[in-house]
Amino acid sequence: MGTLLQQIINGLSLGSVYALIAVGYSLVYSILLFSNFAHGSFLVIGGYSCYFALKTLGMNIWLAGGLSLLAAGASAILTERLAYKPIRERTNVTLYLLIASMGMSIVIENIFVVTVGGRFRALPPVIPTDPVNLFGLATTSAFDLISLVVAVICLGGLQIFLTRTKWGLAIRAAAYNLRIAGLMGVNVSRLISLVFFVAGVLAAVGGIFLSVRYTLYPQLGGITIKAFVAAVIGGLGSLPGAVVGSLILGLAEMLTAGFISSQLRDLVVFSLLVITLLFRPTGLFGKSVGEKI
Amino acid sequence: MSAYTEGIITLLMINAIAAMGVCLLTGFTGVFTLGHAAYMALGGYATAILTVKYHLHWLPAVVAGGILAIVVAYVIGIPTLKLMGDYYAIASIGLGEAIRLILENWQSVTRGARGYPGIPTFTTMPVAVGFFLVLAFLLFCLLNGSYGRMFKACRDDHIAAALLGYDTARVRVLSLVLSAFYCGVSGGLLAGFLSFIQPVMFDMLKSTELTAVVVFGGLGSLSGCLLGTTIITLVTELFRPISQYRMLIYGAVLVIIMVLRPEGIMGQYEFGPKLFRKLFGRKAPAQERR
Repeated sequence: MGTLLQQIINGLSLGSVYALIAVGYSLVYSILLFSNFAHGSFLVIGGYSCYFALKTLGMNIWLAGGLSLLAAGASAILTERLAYKPIRERTNVTLYLLIASMGMSIVIENIFVVTVGGRFRALPPVIPTDPVNLFGLATTSAFDLISLVVAVICLGGLQIFLTRTKWGLAIRAAAYNLRIAGLMGVNVSRLISLVFFVAGVLAAVGGIFLSVRYTLYPQLGGITIKAFVAAVIGGLGSLPGAVVGSLILGLAEMLTAGFISSQLRDLVVFSLLVITLLFRPTGLFGKSVGEKI
Repeated sequence: MSAYTEGIITLLMINAIAAMGVCLLTGFTGVFTLGHAAYMALGGYATAILTVKYHLHWLPAVVAGGILAIVVAYVIGIPTLKLMGDYYAIASIGLGEAIRLILENWQSVTRGARGYPGIPTFTTMPVAVGFFLVLAFLLFCLLNGSYGRMFKACRDDHIAAALLGYDTARVRVLSLVLSAFYCGVSGGLLAGFLSFIQPVMFDMLKSTELTAVVVFGGLGSLSGCLLGTTIITLVTELFRPISQYRMLIYGAVLVIIMVLRPEGIMGQYEFGPKLFRKLFGRKAPAQERR
């Protein structure tokens, strides 16, 4: 019973970190209708800027965290301006954007390999990982609880931003129809930059937590493939879907690791993806896009 | 000819066979894939196991690898290709990773992540060139016949194609199945060339490379896809001494091509009199682009 509860808390905590990344995927998909495979690199940029701000500049975690969020957000805007905007303005074939995003993800990953090297780095102990006893029922680490809380705060903030602000309204309108939002006077170019910035910031939060949970290395961005799977399971383009999908995925992964075999956890993730697509291709919350290419 | 040159030509032929498969699916039928390395893995492992464990002759083993790829592609293609859009692309990611993970974890059959050693080296240069010529000829005939027109019709306007009486979902599945066969055969030949295969050789990077090569050469151009394969294979060979920067250059080339010339090197044109007339002719014939 204790183990089960413990694995559920671990699963929720991992799932909430996936949710931070998956929400970014879904935001970009809902506006531009392509899967941004360079999303994982924003996470790596966030992780490395946090690492160097802590180690080299000797900042405290709040300053370093803030800096890395800004760095990831800025690089997301830069990626969009350099690689996607020229293609977007020329054609509406999303396939080209998809391939450009894969190219960007290879480029950013290998910039880190070339400049800082491919070795694994551990973040200094800035987030406590001491064991915490939960009312005598289960023992879990403080880190899991903190990442769960931070993720909930970030997602709540995003929800408020999307529903209560003018720009949030613009984003929701653009998700419905980008062209008409533009005709209604929304500055589409600035809106897309904003969406990429928000996605980059959320990815960086996820990146910091993931580099504490595992270690930091240039290929860490590859882990976002799971966040992508979560976004698909929940329904691409749907934010609640991305969160629910991430929690399902985190739970499935941790329960498999805890009770069956930790080698099978990745297999379970990808089987879930295939099964979802076979039985409910639009995902749990996805709107039906039967004709959309 | 030195053994090194022969090796590069053999590798080029193997890559070209897989690229032709993806070219049929992505270039001519308009279905995007991110998991075709999985079909190569199926073909490679089927060939390896059949030749090493069951001492089968390599020719039926390679064909069996292709047929295994067909079966898996059919099962995956039926539900996902009924829908338009990215669904097959997303499913192919899941399929690709799932197959790689199964190969890594099914120790008793595939010997796990350490790879499968001791495969007889049957893929000499003449074998690879022979396979390439036969498969290229078959694809060329297919694309220039009524099937080719059917594939292109479904790519360009699936509603119009459906109105003409084509079952577009079935056409897409047929295209997928054929392309899986090409990739399976290519994987089998790769196993016979290297005499050792490993699940990690067929990861998502390889799948991306297959699709990238086709887009790089020009969607809907068979000769463009072969040209793209040649360039990418040679570039990766040439940059081998500075391996650190190799992937960086590869990624940058991918982005730059997409930004500057998204239709690829050849566009939709094939090598032939038409292309030369367009390039050098006084007045190009009115070739309307879609």
